Amino acid sequence: MIVSKLGAREIPAPTMQFLFTLGSLPVGLALLAGRRFKLEKERKGISYAILTGILSGIGGMGLFAAYGSGGNTAVITTATSLYPMVTVVLAVLFLRERLNWIQVIGLGFAAAAFVLFAY
Amino acid sequence: MQIPHWFWFAAVVLLFWGACGIFQKLATNYISAESSLVWLILGFILIEPFVYPGKSLLHYSKENILWGLLSGVLSNLGAWGLYVAMKSGGKASIVAPICALYPAIVVILAPFLLHESITLRQGLGVLCGLIAVVLLSV
Repeated sequence: MIVSKLGAREIPAPTMQFLFTLGSLPVGLALLAGRRFKLEKERKGISYAILTGILSGIGGMGLFAAYGSGGNTAVITTATSLYPMVTVVLAVLFLRERLNWIQVIGLGFAAAAFVLFAY
Repeated sequence: MQIPHWFWFAAVVLLFWGACGIFQKLATNYISAESSLVWLILGFILIEPFVYPGKSLLHYSKENILWGLLSGVLSNLGAWGLYVAMKSGGKASIVAPICALYPAIVVILAPFLLHESITLRQGLGVLCGLIAVVLLSV
């Protein structure tokens, strides 16, 4: 996150995402090599994972744009790290999962954090 | 109350990364976490034509380009590390909350590396946020 901030001070978000992906390639190749270039071929799993990559890339551009806007890095990093609250809510809505009391308290703290950051 | 500019960009992150959590979960119902990371990187590659900077890339300082590349390397190494920790017997209930605390590293390092400081109110927000991510990842 620190290095993302350093780059995003000058470089616009889409270009940062371009560089981020180039940086991801050696890790992906190393992962592939570690698995001797064998991956599961379950079509549904692959589709969901690729979709995750696309969504993650778009979200990543949001993060680079937030860093580039000059806001406080610690605050932006903490605020954006709260994305599991959206996952939890979506899981309740679409996967029909049930919230446990720990998650409810977590959502409360997340809401408090946003109120404090919004000023 | 004036909402800061970065807040809207952060909302995009929350929305898209929040949805990622759902699709990642669905993906790992069918394939291993490591495979999903490889296919996820393919998803990044699919965006590349839309964000290709062309010759304008040459206008940025080499140092900042290096930071951009390094952000991709470190982020994916971190994700790989998380999968390895889980695979090598780490309990998800312990590994996930510890990994979720990554903003704490930024909070600690930012004053030294970026010469940034936070107000008391922002500090309270960070504290609430850290508690929230740990509770949400248990």
